[in-house]
Amino acid sequence: MTKVVVPPRMSALRGSTQASGLPEWVVPASLSLSVLGLALSIYLTIEHYTAPGTAACPAGRTVNCAQVTTSAQSMVFGVPVAVLGVVFFVAALALCLPQVWAMRDPRVWKARLGVTAVGLAFALYLIFTEIFVIDAICLWCTAVHVVTFGLFAVVAMATALADLPSR
Amino acid sequence: MAKTARSTARQRAEQARIARERAARRARRVRNAWWAIAVAPAFVALLLIIKVAIPSPGGGLGSGELSAATVAALSPPADVLDLVSRGQGVTFPNKTQNQPALTAGDKPEVLYIGGEFCPFCAAQRWGLVIALNRFGSFSGLTGTFSSSKDAFPNTATLSFHGATYTSDFLVFNGVETSDRDQKQLETLTPDQQQLFTTYDSPPYVDAQSTGSVPFVDFGNQFLQTGTAVDPGLLAGLSHDQVAAKITSDPTGQVAEAILGAANAFTAIICKLTNGQPGNVCTSQAATAYQQEVG
Repeated sequence: MTKVVVPPRMSALRGSTQASGLPEWVVPASLSLSVLGLALSIYLTIEHYTAPGTAACPAGRTVNCAQVTTSAQSMVFGVPVAVLGVVFFVAALALCLPQVWAMRDPRVWKARLGVTAVGLAFALYLIFTEIFVIDAICLWCTAVHVVTFGLFAVVAMATALADLPSR
Repeated sequence: MAKTARSTARQRAEQARIARERAARRARRVRNAWWAIAVAPAFVALLLIIKVAIPSPGGGLGSGELSAATVAALSPPADVLDLVSRGQGVTFPNKTQNQPALTAGDKPEVLYIGGEFCPFCAAQRWGLVIALNRFGSFSGLTGTFSSSKDAFPNTATLSFHGATYTSDFLVFNGVETSDRDQKQLETLTPDQQQLFTTYDSPPYVDAQSTGSVPFVDFGNQFLQTGTAVDPGLLAGLSHDQVAAKITSDPTGQVAEAILGAANAFTAIICKLTNGQPGNVCTSQAATAYQQEVG
C-alpha cells in the first residue's frame, strides 16, 4: 500500500484554507486562470511589438484580430492594452498564490476582489469598444476577457464563502 | 445539577443561534456574489442586443476635400525638412541594378500602385506627396481613410484617384486600383501592368510579397513594395491631426517618419532628375540619404 505524504507546508496551507471555509477548487482554479490569462496577454504583447496585425486569427468581417489590435483603442494613455493585461495578470497571479489565499487578513481578500473587479470592468469597456467603436471582435482578446471573467467569478465566490475574522 | 443542565442548554441554544446567523450571513454574501458575477454576461448580452437592434451608421468616414491646414502640411517649409533630415523609422526603397530607365517623354517617371482600402498605402502616400510637391504640384488630391475592416483601420490618408500632377522635372502616375471598400476603381494600363508584374515579384521582392501594394517604381532605379512609414503611427489621427504633427511637432515620431520618408523619396527623385531643381536637390533634406542613393 502506497502512503501519500503531503508536504508539511501544503498540508498547513490546506488546513488554513479549509479553516476559512474556502473550497479546495478555489486555489487551483484561480492559479490556472491567472497563468492562462498571463500567457494570452504575453502573446498579444509580443504580437503588438513585433508584428502588429499578424495574430493567428481569421480576418473576416466580424472576427478580425488585426483590426482590433492595430486600432487606436489598442492603446490607453500611450500604453498598449496588451501590456496592461500582463500587469493585471501578474498582480492577479501574485494574489492567487496558495500562500496568499491562506492569509486571513481581510485587506488581502479585499485587494484581490478589487483587482479582479477592476480587471473585469476594463474588459467590459474593451468589449464595448470592440462592438461599437472598432466594429470587430478579436478572438485572442475575447479569450482574455473570458479568463478575466472566470477569475473574477472564482474570487468573488471564494470571498463570499470564506469565514474571515471581520468584514 | 438542574442549574448546570439549564446553563448547558442555554449555551447550546446560543451557539445554534450564532451558527444560524453565520450561515444566514454567508448565504447573503453568496447571493450577492452571484449577482455581481451575473452583471458581466448581462452587460455583454445587452450590448449585443443594442448592436443587433440599432444598425451602425457606417462610421461617417469617406472621401472629401482636404482642409487648408492639411494642404499646407503637404508642402512643409524647406527648413523643417532640413531639420528632420533622415528622420526616424524610415524604410528606404531598394535600389535596382542595370534596369532600363522608366521615362515618359523626356522625363523620368515615378509610378505608384495602391488601393484606398490599404493601410500601408495610406501611410506611404503622405511622404510621397510631400516629396513630389517639391518638384511640382497636385490638383484634385482628396482625403480618405483606409478600410475599417483591415489592419490599422481608418488610417487617414490622401487619394491619387482623380488627382493630377504636373512638374517640369518628372512624370508621376498614381493608380488606385480599389476604393476603401475594395471595389474596383482604376485599372492599370498594359505598360503599368508589365512593370507591376516584373518588379513586384522576385527577385525584387520576396516571393510572399509578390503583387503586394503599395508598390512604387522610381524610374525603375528604386523600388518599394510596402511602406516606408509604420501605419501604426497614424492610428486614431484625423487628417488635420496628422497635419498638425507635421507642422507643429517636426521632431515628434509622426513627423520624423513622414518627413524622413519624404526626404528619402526626394533624394531618389533628385537622382532621377540629375539634381534638378538645384535648390531642392542640394538641400540638407535631399542629401541626407545620399549614401543609399549612391
